[in-house]
Formats: sequence, C-alpha cells, structure tokens
Amino acid sequence: MLTEKELQRYDRQIMIYGFGKEGQEKLKKAKVFLAGAGGLGSPVAIYLAAAGIGTLRIADHDTVELSNLNRQVLHWEENIGKRKVDSAAAKLGKFNSGVKIETIADTITEANVLKLVGDSDLIVDAMDNLPTRYLLNRTAIAKGIPFFHGAVYGFEGRAMTVLPGKTACLNCLYHGAIVPKEKFPVIGVTPAVIGCIQATEVIKYLVGLGELLTDRLLNYDALRMKFTEFKINRDPNCDCCGKTSRQVKKR
Amino acid sequence: MSVEVEISPIFGRYTNNVLNMKVEGKTVRECLHDLVRQFPDLKKMLLDKDGNLMHSYDFYINGENVYPKDMSKPLKSGDKLNVVFIIHGG
Repeated sequence: MLTEKELQRYDRQIMIYGFGKEGQEKLKKAKVFLAGAGGLGSPVAIYLAAAGIGTLRIADHDTVELSNLNRQVLHWEENIGKRKVDSAAAKLGKFNSGVKIETIADTITEANVLKLVGDSDLIVDAMDNLPTRYLLNRTAIAKGIPFFHGAVYGFEGRAMTVLPGKTACLNCLYHGAIVPKEKFPVIGVTPAVIGCIQATEVIKYLVGLGELLTDRLLNYDALRMKFTEFKINRDPNCDCCGKTSRQVKKR
Repeated sequence: MSVEVEISPIFGRYTNNVLNMKVEGKTVRECLHDLVRQFPDLKKMLLDKDGNLMHSYDFYINGENVYPKDMSKPLKSGDKLNVVFIIHGG
C-alpha cells in the first residue's frame, strides 16, 4: 500500500500508461541485488532509488579513490578512502529515505554468492571483471531470477537482459571468454548511459511494461552516437543455461 | 565476393579510424585475413599465432551470433561481419 507521500513523490511515473499505483507498489516490494557501486552501479542505484525500489542490496569491496570520481557519481571527494558501499548508502539514504539500503563490503565469490544474493528478486551486473560477471550469471540461472548485464570501455558500452531458462545468458553471449582484468579507459558519460539502460530494464521487468532487451545485445558507440543491436541466440550447448529447465520467477 | 566488415571503435587507431570496410573471402577466416592484409597493424591485435581470432574478440554475421564460433563459417557476397572487442569494464 502506498502512502500519501509516496503517491505524491511518484505521481509523474504513476501517470505513465500501464504503470499506475500497481506498478509503483511492485517497485516498492522489490529487492534488487546490485553487484558493484562504481561507474555502472552509481547510475543504476541513483535511478532505482529515484524510482522507489523497495530494497537495494549493494555489494562492493572497494574503497573510493580519486581516480574513480570521473565516473562514479555516487562518490565525492569527501569519500576518498571510505568504503564505496558506505558512501553509496549515505547518498542514497538522503536522496530517498523510503528506500531500504543494505550494504555488503565483501568480495563476491563462488563460496558466498548464493548467500549474498539471498532472496533478491533480480541481479544487476555492474562489475568490472568477467569472472565475477559469469559467476553472477550462473547464480541468476541457479536461482531462476533475471540478470541485467552492462559493460563499458572508453566511449563504448553494451547491455543485455537475461531471463534464465527463456533467453540467452551471458555465457551464451561470450562463451566463457576471459579478458584479463586491467585498468580500462572510460569517461563518465558512458556508464551513465549504460547504467540508465540497466535501471530502465529493471523497472520495466518489475512493473511488467514493454519489451525487455533479451536475446539482443545492445551496443552503444558514443563516438559515432550510434546504437546497434546484435541478435543473440541461446546456445543449446551452453554450459550455464543449455540444459537448465528452470523458469524465471513469475511476477 | 565482397563482405562488408565493421570493427569496434577500439580498433580505429590501427586503421586510421576506418571502421567500415570491404574484404574478400569465403569464410570468416579468409575475410579476417584479408582485413589484416589491408590494415597490417590490426594483425597483432586481432589474430593469434595460428591465425585465429583472439579470445578477447568476438564476431557476428549479419547482426547475429553464431554457434559454434567457427572461423571456417562460410560467408557470401553481401554478408556483413562485425568484429567486436569483449568489453568488461564497469
């Protein structure tokens, strides 16, 4: 049930055709697991908090560094040296006190991932390395919850949404390829765009609106200001989702 | 037998910022080898010592992924081959 204050706060989105109070209530009930509070995680967290997500469970083991501030807009100069999850929680709490923020300052590992994700309704992939992305993808498949992928490099970004058991997964997309983790070039506007696309997908999924970015990889080339789509077919022999029969949770 | 190739902007520094080009070849392998013949600086970026596409890169044919990722996949005149870098930054 929405309060009077919430009805007022979210009035403009409740007005959207098909959204309504019912959609807002769905957002309020939702728990989102956000893996990463960096360049992608910042816009994802800000726009999900703005939209009135019930619970944001944010995992990041890093502390804020000066070199993060060109893109990780949740963190400010005063937060340098502090844990990113604490910095994020402080801003988000002031921005929207109605959103419950849960913080996890641990590294996401094979051993703890199931517990960390817990009873979240979905996973947002805002990580900075492929092994953890694959691990989160596998976890989403194991739990039968959606997975919202985003990645950036320089002026280029990509996004794809995964509904386990129904659509191509991250492993179908990259077939387990590993790219060594290294310092990568990026300007803040790129994760801003991709993070907003991920947040948009999450909102659409939770509310039940529109068509999701499934079985499609969206490629954003900011230098040519061009969006391209690649059709991603499920790999019948995918190590992660090829034999699974689990279906995504019905909302 | 001409195939249209589009490469990720990351490769622009090796091709004088040319990102769309025509190549000749009947398979992905032949087309990629013609690509690096035209732009030799790309070779060390794209291909390993056996002439295969390095694991950091991926390709799509006519806007679609293919299984298995096989360099011998046939291409015909008018096809489009996209070569992309697997990005993972957040």
